[in-house]
Amino acid sequence: MEQVKCFIPETLEEALRIRRETGATVLAGGSDLMVANSMGAGVTPAFKGDVLIITNLKELKGIRALPDGSVEIGACTTSAEIARSPIAPELLKDAASRMGAIALRNSATIGGNIGNASPKGDMPQPLILMDAEVVLTSVDGERRMLVDDYIIATKKTALREDEIITKVIIPKPDFTHIFFRKIGMRRANAISKLTLSAAATVRDGVVVDFRASSGAAGPKVARSRKAEELLIGKKVSELHTCKEEFLDAWNTVISPHAMPEYRRNTTRRMLAFFIDALEAGHAPGRVDIQE
Amino acid sequence: MSEGYSSKPMQATKIGDRIVRVDAVQKARGEAVYVCDMTLPDMQYAYMVRSTIARGRIKAIHVPELPEGYYFISAKDIPAQGKNELWMIAKDWRCFAEDYVLYVGETIGLVVGPDRGVLKRLKAQIRIDYEEQTPAVTIDDGIHCVGGPMFPEKNSNVMCELFCEKGRPMDEVFAEADEVFEETIETPYQEHVHLETNSAIADMEDGKFVFYASAQCPFYIRKSIAGLLDIPYDDIIVRQCTTGGAFGGKEHFPDVLCGALLVAENKIRKPIKMVFDREEDTQFSVKRHPSKCIYKTAVKDGKITGVYGHIYYNCGAYLSSSYVVLQRGVFHGNGVYTFDNTYLKGEGIGTNMFPSCAFRGFGAPQTLFAIETHLDHLAHHLGVDPLEFKMQYLAKKGDETTTNGHIIEEVKLPEMLDVVTRESDYWRKAKEYKPGCGRGIGIALYNHGGAFTGNGEQAIIKAHARLVKTGDRVSIQVGSTEMGQGFKTSLRKICAATLGVSIDRIEYLDPDTSKVVDSGPTAASRSTMIVGRLVERAAQEMKERWSEGDFTTEVEYEHPDGYPWDQATFRGDAYLGYGWGVACVEVEVDKLTNEVKTLGAWSSHEIGKAIDELIVHGQINGGILQSLGYGSMEKLEVKGGRFKQKSMSDYVIPTSMDFPKQFYHIQENPYPWGPYGAKGMGELVFNGASAAYVDAVERALNTRFTSIPIPPEAIEEAMKHVH
Repeated sequence: MEQVKCFIPETLEEALRIRRETGATVLAGGSDLMVANSMGAGVTPAFKGDVLIITNLKELKGIRALPDGSVEIGACTTSAEIARSPIAPELLKDAASRMGAIALRNSATIGGNIGNASPKGDMPQPLILMDAEVVLTSVDGERRMLVDDYIIATKKTALREDEIITKVIIPKPDFTHIFFRKIGMRRANAISKLTLSAAATVRDGVVVDFRASSGAAGPKVARSRKAEELLIGKKVSELHTCKEEFLDAWNTVISPHAMPEYRRNTTRRMLAFFIDALEAGHAPGRVDIQE
Repeated sequence: MSEGYSSKPMQATKIGDRIVRVDAVQKARGEAVYVCDMTLPDMQYAYMVRSTIARGRIKAIHVPELPEGYYFISAKDIPAQGKNELWMIAKDWRCFAEDYVLYVGETIGLVVGPDRGVLKRLKAQIRIDYEEQTPAVTIDDGIHCVGGPMFPEKNSNVMCELFCEKGRPMDEVFAEADEVFEETIETPYQEHVHLETNSAIADMEDGKFVFYASAQCPFYIRKSIAGLLDIPYDDIIVRQCTTGGAFGGKEHFPDVLCGALLVAENKIRKPIKMVFDREEDTQFSVKRHPSKCIYKTAVKDGKITGVYGHIYYNCGAYLSSSYVVLQRGVFHGNGVYTFDNTYLKGEGIGTNMFPSCAFRGFGAPQTLFAIETHLDHLAHHLGVDPLEFKMQYLAKKGDETTTNGHIIEEVKLPEMLDVVTRESDYWRKAKEYKPGCGRGIGIALYNHGGAFTGNGEQAIIKAHARLVKTGDRVSIQVGSTEMGQGFKTSLRKICAATLGVSIDRIEYLDPDTSKVVDSGPTAASRSTMIVGRLVERAAQEMKERWSEGDFTTEVEYEHPDGYPWDQATFRGDAYLGYGWGVACVEVEVDKLTNEVKTLGAWSSHEIGKAIDELIVHGQINGGILQSLGYGSMEKLEVKGGRFKQKSMSDYVIPTSMDFPKQFYHIQENPYPWGPYGAKGMGELVFNGASAAYVDAVERALNTRFTSIPIPPEAIEEAMKHVH
């Protein structure tokens, strides 16, 4: 039986050194990795290599506003902390607050959720919509890249052998309208069947920004700047003239394998609803069906 | 402990008292000891090695070299005098598969040893060569004997069958009808999802085999497994442990764990523990029978003149309790109605699936869903309100039943409908919510025959109950079990109230088969109704003799005269008392996503008398929630004989977020042969809400469903055929 080593560093510096020396799998919360490597009740989980547990590194916790209005979130900040933060962006709070059950939200972290790179992961979807970046740190220094570039495909990321995700930086959102839905198999404690965020900035009757992102829609979160450009620059009053073209374009962005009929049709209905609401002059804020 | 709910120490307990469940504090604090919490000296562990194919011959089993102290136990370890069979109703279920396998998950062997990590690795190294055959998986596969008949001697897969008829021959009734409305309605597998997975420990004590088990029926285990070693029942002691939910999933299935453990224990002679992981429990345990019900209803001048039902249940590879489940399905196939002419036929179909077995409702929920949904569709077809339509046919006292017996009690459905329609505002909403408007209200009526069918309590079970008085304390000695349903509280309350003493003076321990009398299985909603009545009788006798010092009273079940039943022809009074129910559900469907929001749920249940209203309330809430899950979201799909869902994250049951706070009403109607007038109720509360839910969604969307569950994907599909 192969023995693996488990490291629990006390500082980021120590963590980075261990990561460089051993290439150990980084565990930040463990709500995915402990399940993936479980051997069942009463048996030690069978990790295939060494494990580096960074869950409790204080340097990687917390949410703060940066001077330029962007928000920086430490990689080991939990979903529960994000969900109740007064400064985290609304769409991210929506996603964080619907992840799993309370116990899971108290242990799952934003860094882990991005690093796990599951297409059904909750937080990457709004992060990609908001052009959020990850900060990847190694003993040699830092590099930054869009979450959209970091996640390459299911369980495949741009993380190097010696790097740790340390922060997420979200540019200051200035959307006038947002829409968020998560559809799981039940209303709480459910893995996503599909998720959708949409956001728009309308100024003087013109759509100056429009974005959408679909989760659980293929090997990674689906976003298409090409499709979004079909709506950007249009007057809200003429959105109906380009809506179908946009919806058709979006339909080609989401994977037919991951998105069978119901998920595809639902995504289309939700986007159409959001666009119609913009054209109808919906008041700034959150757009959804009136209860 | 909130004020007004506490028992008053040493004051006589009354049936109407609101008391704290006797096991509540211990369970809420996490102090209750379950099988998985128990560790005996020199504890060994066991894991099952199971078939990975649905049907085929075992060509070879390759077991790696085992370290010292590790064992592979299989059919070869059953001694010569023993038989490789578990005795449930029949003896067809093999303890260990040898030569051939009949379903994915069939036990082939056990790996046993001291370290669970080592065992898991050994288990992964065991290789089994098969010659695969084509499995029959669905009911239709079974009907058509896909892969060859399972019972070659009768060239068929029909495992069990029965019919009952009332009135005139159906072909005459059909010939006279204006139209015959025909539908096929299907219901799916359902997993019990008891919070505690299946688990058992085997040990030796003074030369006897001792089992600690999470189980409903300790005496069933003893009877089922003794033949493996050909030993007397008394050489096996079963001690039931705190059981964290069962729902029927621990009625016969613990035999499968304990039988295999007995063979291992006979060889190893050390304590051996087996606890299923959740993934094992989901994939490799018994389930609710899927059903396919073909109903043909004759209508003349807008009135039903006859109902024909052909009911198929998917039994899986072994009979387990399927014949009895099927009987109950057929006996409830007429719903709560009286029709002049009926013909109901049931066939239990053998397939290469994990055997289906008991699950809350025990065959009744399938046919009740089918008849309710069928009558809803017929009412819409005739352009009348479904409830108005059904109310013409409500069964009454004295009506002839489909088994040519009679309804013995007053039927309080009209009073119950008054309450439910008033509280839910059914009549206004049913008119105002136009078909397809996105909002709908639905309603269902149902019943559940209490206890074993016909004279089964007398002919088969012969239940006993014993009370032992020591000083001023009394011990209840019965084999009935607490599995979360609240029976320890109810039974102690019945005993205390009858004796006129405080419930704190009554002891009722988890049963040990060497110490208590056999009061029959904890199943069939019979515990309060039958065992509760036995304890009431034993307590009445004890009260009369109270001054005699320390003594014991014991009573045996007596069937009331004048209610004949013929088990050979299924004719007569199938049940002495039914529980009756009405459930109403209001929904709103999200037009973007087809997600259904349940706005309200109202119910009324006639259960004779509530022994403990808080426990009954809990059962109502839970039963209706479980039924709503069955109708809406619980999806257990099968591919190639394998269950696709493996865990609680892909087999989802509702949370409190999914359904609203319920209104509940309890209708009293004292039952003459039950303790304080009580009848069975644990299963009744499951039997109808799923049909009410589907009715509500159908009305909201102006569409029809003929199968459940109806998650948003099914709604998307149905919306292509809006009426």
